[in-house]
Amino acid sequence: MTTTTATKALPVAQVSPEVKALHEKMLRRQRLSRALTYALGLGLSLWILLPIVFIGSMALTTAASVRAYPKSILPFIPFSFETLRFFLNSNGIVSGVINSIIVAVITLVLSTLIAAPAGYAISRYFFPGRDFFRLAILAVRAFPIVILSIPLAVVFISVGLFDSVYSLALMHTALTLPTTILVIGSVFASIPYELEEAAKVFGCTPFQAFRRVVLPLVTPGIAASAVFTFVMSWNEVFAASVLTIQNRTLPAQVLYTLPQSSEPYQFAGGFFMLVPSMIFIFLIRRYLFNMWGQVSK
Amino acid sequence: MPGRRNWAPYLLILPSLLFLALFFAWPMFRALTLAVWDDDGRLTLLTEAAQGSGVSGYLRQNAPVRVLARQGNPVAPGDLDPATMQTEVWFRLRAPLGAGGDVEGWAPETRIRVREEAPDGTPLSGTVRRVLASDADPQTSLLAEPRPGSEVVAKLDANTAVTILESAVLEVWFQLEGEVDGETVSGWAPSRYIQVFGDGENGRVDRGNAGVFTPEYIQRMVNDRFFVPALWTTLLLTILIIPAQFVLAIVMALVIQARLKGNQWFLYIFAIPLGVSDLATGIVWFAVFTQFGYLNTILQGLGLISAPIVYLSANTQHWIIIAIWLAELWRATSIVMVIVVSGLQAISDEVLEAAELFGASLWQRIWHVILPLLKPSLQVALILRTILALQVFAVVVALSGGDIVTVLANETFRQYYEFRNPNVAAAYAGFILLLSMVTSVVYLRLVRTQEEAAG
Repeated sequence: MTTTTATKALPVAQVSPEVKALHEKMLRRQRLSRALTYALGLGLSLWILLPIVFIGSMALTTAASVRAYPKSILPFIPFSFETLRFFLNSNGIVSGVINSIIVAVITLVLSTLIAAPAGYAISRYFFPGRDFFRLAILAVRAFPIVILSIPLAVVFISVGLFDSVYSLALMHTALTLPTTILVIGSVFASIPYELEEAAKVFGCTPFQAFRRVVLPLVTPGIAASAVFTFVMSWNEVFAASVLTIQNRTLPAQVLYTLPQSSEPYQFAGGFFMLVPSMIFIFLIRRYLFNMWGQVSK
Repeated sequence: MPGRRNWAPYLLILPSLLFLALFFAWPMFRALTLAVWDDDGRLTLLTEAAQGSGVSGYLRQNAPVRVLARQGNPVAPGDLDPATMQTEVWFRLRAPLGAGGDVEGWAPETRIRVREEAPDGTPLSGTVRRVLASDADPQTSLLAEPRPGSEVVAKLDANTAVTILESAVLEVWFQLEGEVDGETVSGWAPSRYIQVFGDGENGRVDRGNAGVFTPEYIQRMVNDRFFVPALWTTLLLTILIIPAQFVLAIVMALVIQARLKGNQWFLYIFAIPLGVSDLATGIVWFAVFTQFGYLNTILQGLGLISAPIVYLSANTQHWIIIAIWLAELWRATSIVMVIVVSGLQAISDEVLEAAELFGASLWQRIWHVILPLLKPSLQVALILRTILALQVFAVVVALSGGDIVTVLANETFRQYYEFRNPNVAAAYAGFILLLSMVTSVVYLRLVRTQEEAAG
């Protein structure tokens, strides 16, 4: 918005006082609007960060201070791992974390392996049906997961795959696949096809051109998409709660115990689920627009 | 590539198509059928007690029936399920027949007293039991097949020693009589579908063996006492969340687009909620709104209240709605923001600078230049967000316990999980799908008619 209009190149000595005054005025206005934008940005950041600080200071303190009222506004006083440890030692949490990781890793691998060829196809080839395929993928992405989990649970029960991390991973793969395809497609699209052609001109076979030229360039993008797939699976709670009983994932376990659990447990659980997501989003922040921006087109 | 069709892209998209067909399209179809199709809603009655004989009629599930006769019938080994079916065992026997040698044939287990068994319990030999009833045939018939009514091979006297060659498990079939729409039908059906009452004569159809279309599940959903509240809360939340979210997202996107120093940090911070699950969000905001939580701490610290207020209780549903609203704004605005930012980046700087040069105020620029150019991005974001708002779930559960304030997705979950009723759950799921599709179509229509009006 506040595009820096050319101010530096003008030889100040030659301009008339009116122009100078106008210039000053514009500069002031610009500074003001920049300050306002900063204030707005900081305010919005506070809106995002403050609740995280709250839950963090609830999770990293003693159970006594979680129950205390009024809360201390200064966070992390007293600092302690007591609530977090209490949460992690609760029934089903460690196994839930392990299950969550297994499901998320299987989902990540399956989803990336299946999506990568499709992403390559939609970004490199023009073929009849390509637009229909893209549209279908978008439609799948928009459909509610709530609808999928119930019949899948019924089907999984009838084939004896119910209540296993593998069936949940299959479901999560179906869930993440459309996004992964579109993201990987946009990653491939960001690599100019000329590079591949140049490699072929210099004597590479198509496979060599892909392996030596394209692959190194797309690997970071695909890794980012894989991380995002992991986050989606790690966060998913509805299907996980419907499809597992004994082998609950972490969100499913927390949701299941939520009604009869104490506040320290809940806060530590919320914080524990939130931290990995924050780290992962930080890792892939450069690719966010590849992820979601492109997906929306 | 002119002339020759290139199959490579089709091969490349094939795995994803297959996977989505198996784990998306098919379950979606199942979801819709589960909601209106009763898998064992009717029982087929056959003219004879044998698989593959003619159909004599149908009975509904739970219909009262009378058992007229019973008879054993061979079952396929894999089909055997002693928990649900009545069975009888028949033996294939070898018996001496006078001087003429041996004869082989079938007789029910009830007619043979087993005298010798192999270590694993397999009967090896026995004797024919005495028939006790005075008016009955004193001899036991040996039949050609393990089926009553088949050809009689021989008749054995009581106490004849026999060798047991093999045994077969037969399922008992009932000849039933029942009513459908005032008409009496009768025929044979396997016992596993029938629950017989104590008198041994009357019973009911426990389950059917064929599917039937039924509006019952949808009726049960609509008559469910949580249906209307869930629907209203879902719609109310959607209407409250979406506009506020879009305003907030556009403001965030404009801040990012100003390209200030430290922009990367703003971007990261605004994007954090992208990775936060709805359950964690619910818990985060629970920490704010709980009775001894941060909101009360702050309000009391500022001297605005003198004692902590209870926000999340049955008497303060409006506060729960507000809490859910804030939590959803907090969590799901990021995705709209990212979509809007990438939409903004596609708008060339020249256009914006031109608008600025011609003296358009910030507000005019947003309203007349940016928003119209952003329309495609906003449309996608709108559809996506509405569909996601219609299935809001864990935030609600975390903030209301899933009871005081309920939404459609929560009812789907409860029907499945608490009430063990996948069919009604599927009806709820189908209803959410219907709502999503209707709103998407309405959005697309609205945008198109506006374009037509403008052009």
